[in-house]
Amino acid sequence: MSDVTLESLTKAYGDEVAVDGIDLTIRDGEILGVVGPSGCGKTTTLRTIAGFETPTQGRVLFDGVDVTHVPPEERNVGLVFQSYALFDTMTVRENVAFGPKMHGVPKAERRKRADELLAMLDIAELADRRPTTLSGGQQQRVGLARALAIEPHVLLLDEPMTGLDAELKTRLRDEIGGLLADLEVTALYVTHDQEEAMAMCDRIAVLADGTLEQVGPPAEIYRRPANPFVANFVGSSTLLEGVAENGRVDLGFTELPVAAETNGSVRIAARPAAFELGSGPLEADVADVTYLGDRTRLTATLPDDTTVTLHADGIDGYRVGDSVPLSIDEQRVHVLETD
Amino acid sequence: MTGDTSPRADDGSTAVENVDTVAVAASTTGSDGGSVTAARNRRWSWAGRALSTLFGRPIVTGIVAIVTAFLTVPVLVAFVSSFAESGSGVLPTGFVTLDHWRQVLGFGEYGVRQNAIPGLTYSLLIATGGMILNVLVGVPIAYALARYDFYARNWINTFAILPLVPGLILGIAFIQTYPEHGRSSLGLLAGYCLLKSPYMVLTVQSSFQSMDLVRLEESARSLGASWPRAVLTVIVPQARRGIVAGAIITWTLAAAEFNFTHKVASGSPDPFAMFLYRNIATNASYLQSAAAVSVYFLIVVAAIVVLQLLGKRGFSTAHQ
Amino acid sequence: MSVRKSATASVRRIATLASTTARPTTERERERRRIAVLCLPFFALAIVAGFVPLAMLVRISFAEDTIWMVGWSFGAWETLATTPAYRRVAWNTLWFVGLATAVSVALGVAVAHALEKYDLPAERVVVAAVSFPIALPGIVVAYLITVLLGNQGVVTNAIATVTGASALDLASATAITGLFLGYVYSLLPRATMVLRGTYAAVNTQAEEAARALGASRWETFYHVTLPEIRPGIAAAAILTFRSGLAIFGTVLILQSHQVVTLQIHNEISVGSYAPDVAAAIGLVYVVFIVAFTFVGLRFVDDDAVEV
Repeated sequence: MSDVTLESLTKAYGDEVAVDGIDLTIRDGEILGVVGPSGCGKTTTLRTIAGFETPTQGRVLFDGVDVTHVPPEERNVGLVFQSYALFDTMTVRENVAFGPKMHGVPKAERRKRADELLAMLDIAELADRRPTTLSGGQQQRVGLARALAIEPHVLLLDEPMTGLDAELKTRLRDEIGGLLADLEVTALYVTHDQEEAMAMCDRIAVLADGTLEQVGPPAEIYRRPANPFVANFVGSSTLLEGVAENGRVDLGFTELPVAAETNGSVRIAARPAAFELGSGPLEADVADVTYLGDRTRLTATLPDDTTVTLHADGIDGYRVGDSVPLSIDEQRVHVLETD
Repeated sequence: MTGDTSPRADDGSTAVENVDTVAVAASTTGSDGGSVTAARNRRWSWAGRALSTLFGRPIVTGIVAIVTAFLTVPVLVAFVSSFAESGSGVLPTGFVTLDHWRQVLGFGEYGVRQNAIPGLTYSLLIATGGMILNVLVGVPIAYALARYDFYARNWINTFAILPLVPGLILGIAFIQTYPEHGRSSLGLLAGYCLLKSPYMVLTVQSSFQSMDLVRLEESARSLGASWPRAVLTVIVPQARRGIVAGAIITWTLAAAEFNFTHKVASGSPDPFAMFLYRNIATNASYLQSAAAVSVYFLIVVAAIVVLQLLGKRGFSTAHQ
Repeated sequence: MSVRKSATASVRRIATLASTTARPTTERERERRRIAVLCLPFFALAIVAGFVPLAMLVRISFAEDTIWMVGWSFGAWETLATTPAYRRVAWNTLWFVGLATAVSVALGVAVAHALEKYDLPAERVVVAAVSFPIALPGIVVAYLITVLLGNQGVVTNAIATVTGASALDLASATAITGLFLGYVYSLLPRATMVLRGTYAAVNTQAEEAARALGASRWETFYHVTLPEIRPGIAAAAILTFRSGLAIFGTVLILQSHQVVTLQIHNEISVGSYAPDVAAAIGLVYVVFIVAFTFVGLRFVDDDAVEV
């Protein structure tokens, strides 16, 4: 395993810029999540690392070695797709042994390696089956085993769980996350599901329109989003306009002490959990109620007509038109720099 | 996906058969003739049922029955009467005689005793050669068209799947262009290949289109396979059904290609198409023609069976 | 100046394209080389076996001496343009093939519809019946028509037995109706093949919605199904018409209608040897079908033309 560095990576298709000057490092042994809305360039980034796209500008380095123009088959990169892309004409074992075979590993050894990986992924009993006879989750395990069999520099996973049902997704997420951590695999995990990224990845990179918005550990991305886009894309946030002065922010209807050194007009990102219902200096009118089982999501209007999203306990019976008292937990808001 | 359905084909086909037999039972009792009475019984719920709902299906079914009969009856009659002693009257009479078969194959006791076997063998070899050439020419371009997006792709596609020059005209042009080789086996081979290539390209292409070509190719290459190796060891085996189907079509079409052969063939050995022409158009009796045509039917059926067995062998082991 | 500049620029671009294709460094360039390699065998075959002979055909049509193909003359084209008989052949061909196409496509719609929508008894028999005639050469089709309608034909003799008329009077295989049925025999399977593909892609839920909204079967077909299969019908008509124009074996044996292929054949037969005229007719024919196909395809989605 090794680290992967992208240096001002740019990929354009004619006038269409898919990736625009990304600088990013996947550290040795870490799982880096790449999230972003569709069309943000995350798949292009992955394909560029794999070698299926040559960047218009910039470089791709594996352990400091420039591989920008090395063809994919010589990069030793593991690929796992959403659609599995298993080889239907081969058995599961042959699928897994395919990579070692291409690398000239002798027959007995590659068979042994395949069987080990299948055992590790808990599908040893499927070794002689055809991929088309397997369930989606089983196929994805085979896909992962196949990609790991070449002991790749970096493992690239392109929305590997998108086709699976919710329960299986959660189980596989924990299993695979644990396995990749144990094997100390360097991995790039592309997904549109930020919850999945938070659960599985050591760090998360947020992309939008081909540019890198923020990169950091999940908690940091969630608690201290760098800009309004990240604040809204990773979890939901309410953005409040205010004026900061001497460690306090004046929101118009209330003032908050915040740990930020900026002065002047700022924006505050407040997670739903930042609003405490039941008591407080603020009054909000409930505009919409969505019952979600374990909790209720409320949309409420503050005195200055700002709309906020907040969560209430599922058993509290709020109704549209109710007026609720509200306070803001200053520990849970984050000041965004405004430009 | 070709690969997706292939291993399940066995289970699937038995299920289809079951449905068929149920459907036969249902349609004889209900949906066809019975729908009129059914409608009368349930008139209260369908105040004014449209005529098409009542009669559309029986009429269309009738048309299909007539079409099926039109296409199959002459084939069956020709085959059956090739064993008959007399073909006059509504139905052939006097079974079973192999005289006509012996006659057309050149082992008859009277008439022209030209042995047809060398010609047949020659034609089958040429057709096989054309088929192999077609695989070599058609599969690559079908892959390029299905997998990649490139300049003028649509034009090349149209050009590759539609026969450009009819056989008759190609034949005339061929012998003038290549006076030395035009009438040779090589000429026949090249002509058959070009004339029948659209069928190969089309069938293989549709097989490719049902596969996730980009990801399969990329998976294989990321695992260390060079591009040619990825295509040959991963893509081509998965498209095997389409290739076999294309091979069957191009072979059977080439085996008795007439329009081109008629203009190009030199006469020795006499290609199969000319054998048919001789036995249909010129000095042959009605029943002799029947035998000649039946020889062709047999060859086509045998070819289909052989090629399908060849193609299926990989798949049947694939089930376990 | 600017023309020369743009010319050198494009020459340079082509040179770059050629050199990067030969020695690729980026994945895009490698891909271009792959495409070139994949298309190469086909183009080699098409040039050797298709374009060069076609070019030769042009030469023949202008040849003064048709034995040695030397000298230049517009004689063949003049003959073609001035002889009314050739116009009649063209008209004969167009209406006859057009009618056969219309009948074949209409029947093909019925067959494809029934195969897709109905639980037909013996569905496999029907599928086999409409599939295998594609492989039959025209001369065999001609013979099969005589099996039905010839002097010893099944239908002829059956009618003769019932009505008491003479079988020889009833035989219609070598009449124009017999030839017409021969054309339908060859073309119907082609039309059906295209239409079955189209029918497989029809949105059945829209049809069910229409039925649920109170449309009769015919109204559903007319308002929902037909618009969906219209591109398929157009594609089937184009392919069927093209195939119909190329039919030769059937008409060579039955001989009851002077169509273009038979005319070309006659031009190079012993007795009236005129290969230059044959070549000229052939060229007109090829140009016509190419133009017809491309014009026709502009009205259809390209994907629909999948036999």
